[in-house]
Amino acid sequence: MRAERAVLGALLLPALLLACQRAEPVQSGAGAVPVARGDGKTLRIFMWSDYIDPQVVKDFEKARGVRVVIDTFESNEAMLAKLQGGGTAYDLATPSNYFIQTMVRAGQLQKMNVQTLKNFHNVAPGFQNPGYDPHNTYTVPYQYAATGLAYNAARYTPPRESWDLIFGTSDTVKFVLLDDPREVIGAALKYLGFSVNSTRVPELRAARNLLRTVVAKRGFLGFDGGPGTRNRLLAGDIDLGQIYVGDLLQGAAENASLKVFLPREGTTISTDNLVLLQGAPNPALARDFIDTVLTPRVSAAISNYTYYGNPNAAARPFLDPLLRDNKAFNPSQADLKSGRVEFIEELPPGRPPRLFDRIWSELKSR
Amino acid sequence: MRRVHPLLAGYAWLVYAFMYLPILVLVLFSFNASKFGATWSGFTTHWYAVLFGRSDVREAVTNTLLVAVSSTALSVVLGTLLGLGLWRYTFRGRTALTFLLVTPIVIPDVVMGVSLLMFYALVRHVLPFQGGLFTVLLAHVTFQVSYVGLVVRSRLAGYGPELEEAARDLGASGLRAFLHVTLPLALPGVLSGALLAFTLSLDDFVVTYFTSGSGFHTLPVLVYTSVKRGVTPDINALSTLLIAFTVLLIVVANAVGRRGGAREG
Repeated sequence: MRAERAVLGALLLPALLLACQRAEPVQSGAGAVPVARGDGKTLRIFMWSDYIDPQVVKDFEKARGVRVVIDTFESNEAMLAKLQGGGTAYDLATPSNYFIQTMVRAGQLQKMNVQTLKNFHNVAPGFQNPGYDPHNTYTVPYQYAATGLAYNAARYTPPRESWDLIFGTSDTVKFVLLDDPREVIGAALKYLGFSVNSTRVPELRAARNLLRTVVAKRGFLGFDGGPGTRNRLLAGDIDLGQIYVGDLLQGAAENASLKVFLPREGTTISTDNLVLLQGAPNPALARDFIDTVLTPRVSAAISNYTYYGNPNAAARPFLDPLLRDNKAFNPSQADLKSGRVEFIEELPPGRPPRLFDRIWSELKSR
Repeated sequence: MRRVHPLLAGYAWLVYAFMYLPILVLVLFSFNASKFGATWSGFTTHWYAVLFGRSDVREAVTNTLLVAVSSTALSVVLGTLLGLGLWRYTFRGRTALTFLLVTPIVIPDVVMGVSLLMFYALVRHVLPFQGGLFTVLLAHVTFQVSYVGLVVRSRLAGYGPELEEAARDLGASGLRAFLHVTLPLALPGVLSGALLAFTLSLDDFVVTYFTSGSGFHTLPVLVYTSVKRGVTPDINALSTLLIAFTVLLIVVANAVGRRGGAREG
């Protein structure tokens, strides 16, 4: 009989555990890390990985006597899916500019009222009131990524700073393109003299025809992400690679022969933004954090760590010279104004985005 | 002993090389001074120091093991009962139940993750809870039960109910028959089901990502979300430690198995 009781106990124990576990989340939040809703002591940020200097976080925690929890995502879409599912308690997130309106429509963002932020005036004019959020209602620019062409000067020196090197007729250069439809099709559009956000069918057709010939080249070695391209340049597998400038500069800090330029026909740029999420448990703390990030030294420290673009004009003197003096890292205000360096924007729903998708699947399945 | 044809042996070595060389490279590069994997720039143990200094990694390892161990314990009990039930009884809806058992195994992870996310969102209307250990645990058990149930059932498939009946004839109570006859028969299935469940939980990214709420991340989530911005070498160091741990586990298991086998023989 004792054995019987033991087995019964063994069967009931998990059920009991389950019952206890269940009571807890209702009262205090997540299982392992209790969410103290609105206690002003925990700030939760949902961002790209390795995208903030850990020291900045530590300093903020110490100065305010709070805890900062950072979770990471690997695509805007996955982030939104998780937020929409509920059960999360994030205060801040860092979506890309072309995802802002999607998030607004999904009701995920709170108005920011940037005028009440002490340090918002530090943001460079070119990054204030952007097209994706005309009055900075919802966003504060965090870091940006221009897209350039990278090479390893120890192995190959491009004769000119142009998309022509890979989109032109030459067949000898070995290159890779970014594994991202908006970047690849955007570059082709730019090379042809159109906007990266073009939704005109003839222009998109022209881009498709161009890209068909590009991916058919002997030198085309596939699509890759930034880190992969950087490593292939270091290894000498490729001569040129389309890359986010930040990803390349990370490598340049270690190997000075890695170089990058923004092609003269123009290129794409996108910003990641600090946004205050709907239902943020600690909005006051979140705003305090944003204000801290906007202070020149902190902002520079973040860029010096991530090697990504810094939209903070006042932070410039504190930037690592490797970044400060790099033309590809600092597209000029004139380039931004003239649209040579053009923001990737969200496409309106309907036929053109489907055309983007079709072109992309065709290229990938070549 | 039969000799293996040299061609076959060569082929086998090739296959092994293909499987293990990448792991070897990873181990090697965890000692690489360069932050980027492509070039060798000197030996260092720096990344291990970095790794041990990262509180998010420590937290992720703890969470991963916590989820893996507890979800395995739960799913082994539930899955074994399920397997036994399907094996021993015939009842209305058994085919349907078997079908449902296979579903979590064949549907893509994304579908499972998103559907769980939606399910939790629905429940939240009645019961406002946060995502975290509990929601991840439940999600893992959901797919683990299927694996355990299937393995246990197929382990028992060769036996009829007569063994248990014989035990009952000899005067054993239902429970005693279960403990001394059925369970020992099922045990290899239960153990391999448990191992399978444990590994699946340890590996799972998609379902965990969608069900974990905020502030609760596991190792696979940590690693996968870093891919976009480049995996740092401290993650290589971490993988190396995990591999070392697994190898150790296998060696120990083998040693124990051999001792057990010797005793029996």
